[in-house]
Order: sequence, then structure tokens, then C-alpha cells
Amino acid sequence: MGWLGEVGRWLAFFFRRGKFDADLEDEMRLHQELREQEQRERGASAEEAHFTAQRRFGNKLTLREESRDMWGWNWLETLLQDVRYGLRQLRRSPVFTTLAVMTLALGIGANTAIFTLVDAVMLKSLPVANPKQLYRLGDNNNCCEMTGTTQNGGSYVLYSYPLYKELRDHTPEFSELTAFTPFLTSLAVRRSGTSGSSQAFEGELVSGNYFTMFGVHASAGRVFTSAGDNPGMPPVAVLSYYAWQKYFGLDPSVIGSNFVIDRVSYTVVGITPPGFYGDTLRSNPPDFWLPLGTEALLNPRHNALNEPNVEWLYAIGRLKPGARAQSVQSHLTVELHQWLWHTGYARATPEERSDAALVQGYRREVARQHIHLTPAGGGVDTMRQDYAAGLRLLLIVAGLVLLIACANIANLLLARAAASRLNLAVRAALGAPVTRMIRSVLTESILLGVLGGLVGLLVAFAGTRTILLIAFRGARYVPISSTPSGIVLGFAFLLSMVTGIAFGIAPAWAASRTDASEVVRGAGRSLGEHSPLARRSFVVLQVAVSVILLVGAVLLTRSLRDLEGQRFGFESQGRLIVHVNPRLAGYKPEALDALDRQLQNRLSRIPGVLGASLSDYSPMEGGNWNQDVYIEGRKPAVSNQDLNSSLNRVSSEYFETIGTHVVEGRAINHADTPTSQHVAVVDQAFARKFFPHQNPIGQYFGLSPSDSGEYEIVGVVEDAKYQNARLAAYPTAFMPLLQTPAGDLDRDGSVYFGDIELRLAGTPQNFEPAVREILGEINPNLTVLGMMSLKEQVALNFNQDRLITRLSELFGLLALALACVGLYGVTSFSVARRTNEFGLRMALGAQKNDVLRLAMRQGLNLTFIGVAMGVAGALVLTQFLSSLLYGVKPADPVTFVAASLILMGVALLACYIPARRATKVDPMTALRCE
Amino acid sequence: MHRDEIPPGTLYLLILKALARSGELHGFEIARWIEQVSDEVLQVEEGSLYPALQRMLIKGWVKAKWGVTAGNRRARYYRLTPLGRKQLEVEVSEFNRVVAAITRAIQTA
Repeated sequence: MGWLGEVGRWLAFFFRRGKFDADLEDEMRLHQELREQEQRERGASAEEAHFTAQRRFGNKLTLREESRDMWGWNWLETLLQDVRYGLRQLRRSPVFTTLAVMTLALGIGANTAIFTLVDAVMLKSLPVANPKQLYRLGDNNNCCEMTGTTQNGGSYVLYSYPLYKELRDHTPEFSELTAFTPFLTSLAVRRSGTSGSSQAFEGELVSGNYFTMFGVHASAGRVFTSAGDNPGMPPVAVLSYYAWQKYFGLDPSVIGSNFVIDRVSYTVVGITPPGFYGDTLRSNPPDFWLPLGTEALLNPRHNALNEPNVEWLYAIGRLKPGARAQSVQSHLTVELHQWLWHTGYARATPEERSDAALVQGYRREVARQHIHLTPAGGGVDTMRQDYAAGLRLLLIVAGLVLLIACANIANLLLARAAASRLNLAVRAALGAPVTRMIRSVLTESILLGVLGGLVGLLVAFAGTRTILLIAFRGARYVPISSTPSGIVLGFAFLLSMVTGIAFGIAPAWAASRTDASEVVRGAGRSLGEHSPLARRSFVVLQVAVSVILLVGAVLLTRSLRDLEGQRFGFESQGRLIVHVNPRLAGYKPEALDALDRQLQNRLSRIPGVLGASLSDYSPMEGGNWNQDVYIEGRKPAVSNQDLNSSLNRVSSEYFETIGTHVVEGRAINHADTPTSQHVAVVDQAFARKFFPHQNPIGQYFGLSPSDSGEYEIVGVVEDAKYQNARLAAYPTAFMPLLQTPAGDLDRDGSVYFGDIELRLAGTPQNFEPAVREILGEINPNLTVLGMMSLKEQVALNFNQDRLITRLSELFGLLALALACVGLYGVTSFSVARRTNEFGLRMALGAQKNDVLRLAMRQGLNLTFIGVAMGVAGALVLTQFLSSLLYGVKPADPVTFVAASLILMGVALLACYIPARRATKVDPMTALRCE
Repeated sequence: MHRDEIPPGTLYLLILKALARSGELHGFEIARWIEQVSDEVLQVEEGSLYPALQRMLIKGWVKAKWGVTAGNRRARYYRLTPLGRKQLEVEVSEFNRVVAAITRAIQTA
């Protein structure tokens, strides 16, 4: 029948047990009456017949018990009894129960909160139909655009639209294959017919079959059709349910109405289902999905749709049932090889085609390329890759805290068991079977576990919200729910049971070894100095794990402090950064000179503004422009020579405004106009890289080999970090916004500034309304895409570090507190047991200090052992932290000493408080007891 | 008249046999059948009959159904399942083996 049938029968029986008893009763009564009748027919008197029939049955109650037992009912009966007994025990000691439940709630809650995040980030599938059928073409997250080259490492992940079309149309194993941009675009959106300035939204360009591929239907209106890829179609857009709800109040008239998105008029045709966030779990997911066919309208200069060389799309497909990923993957790779060969050949000049070595090289390069098909049920796993290490660490840390909590409660339970030994002994003496006693102790501990788990769910809920706030600081919307899902609830329940059993085992074992005779004889006093070995081991374990967690927490805290407090090469205090896109407002490159001056003038006249500047990028915002530079007078580059530099275009007053010091020469100023000599300011890293033995001032460089005389270096500024705060500043050259190579103002779009920087006296947030007002006056279409203090912009880079650090600190403190409770418990327990001994010693002339030392000795010895073990463990374990640490070594001696001292200091206190009680023993009382 | 307890382990066998012979019986009828066919030598202890029936229900050897007796009384009728029929064969051959062995043992001079 199997265990399932067993359970089914048991359940059926359990719910109908009343009827079961009645049926059995009926059956037996009939039997007895028939027997009685038989006896009478044989000539027995009525009384005699009744008596005989009854006697033959024996004890009906026992019979019923026996039958019930058979059906498994008694098991439950006993369980209920145990639960009732357990609850009574817990109610009897409310302080213990509260302490234990709180401890467990913190432990289980912390684990559940982190597991919620693990579930959302690592385990959950996209909210789409049959996510298991989804596969992504590629195994990495290279972003965002490659031009006409084969991809690095050979693993393809970015596709041109023609290549995507080729693969889509020639891979029948996919029921659908969709393409989309890996990055989101900030859109300036205004509903047609409304006044006021545009609002910033996030948008993603997707192929027409995007929603069909995901099996996602519109919750209102319709989704795209495959015609969406056709540039000739009237522009349509799909709005996310979240944005519809949040910004348009679920207004049904939104569907079918027109929106001006980046100056292109789109018709919103439908709304996604609630909960759908696209192909990638990320903060601020797309509000608008736009068809790839409209790319040329949005971005006329890019217009990559029909470019076979511009690789800018990710691809995800749905495999037909029965298709094997392995064989589809080889099929795709063959298609890729053919494609690359043909497009490469078509591009090549006749001379190149006849160059055997070149052709051979290209053939080898093509052969190296491949498509790795990876399961994409969870979508593009950017967040998974970003957070995997951190989440794993947090899970381990939270697990360790739970371990301490368990050890602690096991200890408390042991102490209580010792106190109630008489109770247990009496039960044993009265014949309670050992299994029953073990079971009742375990029931009690599991009960505690489950109670802790229930309270822990509240902790988890609050904890998850906090974690999300820390992890996604600055995000408008994170598509992760803090409400525990089914799997999370299951996890919490399992954890409660497991912890309940874990900390119940030791006390249960102790209960099973209760020697009734010994206890009843009255042996309860001991001259032995120590608590039982189990309890001492638990305390040592707690101390050791606490030391490990404390060391980790201190290391991470120091690392984060160093990371955030370092000298970045700019001033983050009192700076406001405004993100705008003048191109979206319709400015032609020729109009920028006037706009730039107007903005700088108007903004710097706001009272309290000390300076205003413009730039392509501001520090630590995440964007970057990277390219090879060519120094004038240098020999043509050797092929593998590194000429890469970061580039940025800035207005006058830029360096003063962000607080980067000029080391040599001058900064970019008002005199640097489009028509004056083109100049550049470089940072020291640039100078070191390109002019190791020369003065860079007066040298020239350009952005292509043919115009290496374009920019004259007029100044050197200090190194400033723009991208990765953990790495040294990257070589960077700064050029005036409008000084582009002659006659080509719009070649790379860099003339359009993206950021406005303001230096302020006062709180940056207070200036936001004034800035918006002035931008609106200058041009209502000049949409503010984002505005925050530079301090916040920098801080957002450390969200993950901050999350890990804050939680480690919290867990470290929790561990410390728990270890202290453990030490306190052990010491007070032994003080209570040795009251008589201490009294005796004092009667014999021992001083208070001697007694104090005696009482504290055990706890302190345990602490020393624990600290030693913890330090040893931490030396090994912190090695795994090294990738997360900045500016501090994993084996940093100061940290180790500090953590050990903190622990020993607190331990001293935890032992001293109960030990002091030993010195207050009145010798006479103690003696009389003896 | 002297009555014997049913030898341990043979109660199932006898119940199965009773049901195999008579189709549907309630508890008292089973007991009566065993007593009658054994010429009142074997006496079924009610205290073991009902737990045994329960156990056989759990094992799936018999099925039970409520019905009405000739005297118009509500009674639980038991009948064999295919599994029970198979079990009967097993029990019979086992019993025969044991009896043969015991017989051999006590006949050894």
C-alpha cells in the first residue's frame, strides 16, 4: 500500500474515530447478545447466560484500545498528551519559554529572511508559462554592445538583429525565439494631450514575439505581434501593470491612448499581467516595452536593426517539448559558424580574401565561437551572479547564529532538566518507559521550535523588508515580495522542526539516563567543580562561533568604512547630481553651446549654489566611455599594446565643482570654446600610463590614429575613481564638451552632457525643487531622469557591501549576546549547585575574592578555550572573505585581538554577575543545610 | 464438554477458511462456524476475534460491509478479498508443514 496509503488510512480513521468506536461497540454488542441467546437456548438461566457471554468477551475497553492502537490512533493520542504536557511545562516557566522562543524567533527569522531573498534571487522562476522550457543563447552577461567582432572567450551572448533572425528562422526546435536589449533605457514620457513636463520611465526594446515566447497574455488590451519587428508599423507600446497601477491609477483609458516617448508618439496597446517584470530580475524593471522595429525612431543615429555587425541583443527561446538542449546547442553553433563566415567574407575586401594567412586566421577565430544554451527559467541571471557570493555568506552566518541559538536552548533545557531530575526520576520509578520520556522531552523541544518558528515568521517578514531596503537602496521598485512564499514557509517550518530536534537531543539523552534510585536517594549536591560535559561543550561551541562571527563582522565593518571613507579624488559632500538627456528634449548639437551656457548661468544663480558644471559622466554613476587613444609622435601601435583610456567631456568649472584638485597646468575653463584650440586635462593615472618619463603638459593625443594631434594636454588632475571603488583610478582624459574633431559634432554623441553637477552650501536635497523649476523654465521637455546628492550616488555603489556588513554586525552581536546568556547560565548553575561548598569554604576562612575566583573559574576557562578555538577557526574561514574585503587583510591581527577582547570582556561580565552571588552565601545557612 | 483454545497463530487461518466456505459472515457467525465444524472442540475467544478481524481489515485480507441479520439486526459482514484468498493458501500450506513437522517430532521413538 506504501506509506501514502498508510497515511490516507490513518487520516480517514482519525477523522472518523468516533464512528469507528461506535461500530466496534455495535458489532460486539450484537455478538454478546447472540451468544446470550445461544446460552439461553441451551437451558441457561437469563442471568447465567448474560454472565457467560460477558465473561467470554473480557475487558471491552482493552479490546477497543487494542483495535485503536492497530489503526494508529493511539500514536496520536500519546502525541496530544505529550503536547499538552509540553505546553504545561512551558507555561510553568514563562521566563525560560519567552527567552527560548525569542532566541529561536531571531535565529529562525534571520534564516528565513535571508532564505526569502535566496528564493527570490536564486531559486524562483520568471512568472511566465512553463519556465523550464526557456533557454538562453549564451552563458555570460556581457553588455551592452559589440561591433563587428567575434565575442571574447568565444561564448556568444550578444546578437545582431539579422543574426537573431537567422537563428530564429532556422532552429525549428524552438517554438519561439525572442530578442531584447540587455540594458534598459531611460525614457522621457508624456501622455498626449496632457500639459506639464515629461516623466522619466524605464523602457526595454524587445522583438515582436517577446510576450508570445514567454506565454504572457495582456491583463488588459493586447501584447505585441510578430509584426512589431517591422520598422514600418505604427509605434505601439506595452505598459507594465506596476506602472499602470502606480502612475496611472489603473485608468482603463490608458489602453489605446497615445504617449510621447522620447518625442515619438506611441499607442499603448496593452498592460502586462501583475507580477511580470520582464526577462531579468532587477530593481526598476521596465515600465514600457517597445518593439525593436521602433528603434530607428527612438535612436535614429544608432539604427542597428539591420546592421549585421552591431551585436546588441540577448536571446531567449522556448524549446519544443522533446527537444534536447544539447543537440539544439550544436545546431545553433553550426548556424553561427556559417553566419560568421559568410558575413565576414562579404565584408572583406578582395585583397583580404586573397590573403591566405588572414583567411586562415579568421577561419580559426570563427571555429572558436560557440553558443552555450543555458536554462533560463529564472531569466537573465544578472542579479544571481551579483549576489550569489554575498547571499551564500549570509546564509552561512545566519546558520551559525541559529547553531548558537540551538546550543543555548539545549543548555537551558539541560539546566532545567537537571533541576527537574526528581520529577523525571519519579516518572521513571513509576514505570514510564524510556522511549516515552525521550519522546516527551523531544516533543517539548519541537514545540519550542515551532513556537519560535511562528514568531520567527514575523521577524522574517520585517527582516526581509529591511534587507530589501538595504540591498536595493535608491530603487524605485524591486519586484521581490517580502511576503514569505510557500517554499519559504516550508523552509521555516522545516527549520523549526530540525532546530527543535537538534537542541532537544541532548536533554532527551540526559532524560533517558536518569537513574531513579540515585536521584531518589537524594544525591543532588555535588562537590564537583564542573557542569556536565555536554553543557560545557555547548558553551565552548557558542563562544567559538561567536568569535568567528565577530571577527567576520569587524573585518567587514572596517572594510566598508575604508571603502566608503577613502579619498575618491572628488568631494561627495554638498554636491548634487542631476541626470538629464538634452537629446530627448530635441536639442540639435548646434544648439548645445547656448544651452550649456544658459544652464550654467541660471543654475549657479540659485542662492546657495556655489558652482555648476556639466559633463557626460559624473563620478561613480556607473556609466563609462572607454576607447583607445593615440599619442602624437608615437610609432604606430604594436597590436597588443594597451592604449585604452576612459574619456569624459566636461564643461568649465567641472573640477572645481566636483572637488578634484588640479595638480599641474590648468583646468578646462570658459575660454575653451568649440573654435579655440582643442585641449584636454588628464589624470595622473593617464600621465603615468602614457608619459611615464615625460611631462604630459604640451603633449598631444587623439581618438584615432589619423588625428593624434587633436587635443593638447593643458593640465593634470589628481586621480579620481569613477567606476570601481575597489580598484585604483583608471587613466582618464577630460575634454571640453563641444571640442569634437572638426565638422563632426555628432559623431559619438558625446557632445550631449548627461549630468549636471552643483556645488552647494547646505543640504543637497533642499535644492531639488529650485533645480526642477529652472530646468522646466528653460525647456519643459528637459526631463529630470534622476537627481541625488553625490554622496548618495557614491553610496549606491556599496549596497551589497552594506547589506552584508550590516547583517554580519547584527548577527555578530546576536551571537555575542547568546554566548553571554550561555556563560551566565553555566556559571549560575554551578554556583547554585555549589552553594554549600562555598559556604563551607567561607566558614573555614576563605575570602570573598577567593570564592569569586572559584565561581568564575569554570566560565572563564570555557571562554578561553572557546576564544582559542574561534580564533583558529576564524583564521581559516576569513580567507573566504578576502574577495569581499577592501583595505584590510583577512588575518588582520588588530581585528582578531579586538574581537577576542570584546568577547572576553563581555564574558567576564556574564560570569561575574552570577559569581557574585556565591560570595553572598551565609556560611551558617550553608552549614545548616548540610 | 471439554473445550480447547485455538492454537496460537491459527485464528487467521480459521477465519479465512470460514469466509472462504461461507462467503459473507458477521463476527458471531464466524465464531459459530468454527465451533460447529470443529464439533465444539475449538472455542473462539471473542477477545481475540475482533482484534484479529481489525488486523485483517488493515492487511486487506477481508472487506467489511454493514448489513442486516435474519433477526433484523444491524451487523458487520466480512468477506474475503483476492488478497485474503491468497493468504488462505499460504496459511494452509504453512499450517500443514508445521503439523507434519510436529507429528514427525512426536512420533520419533
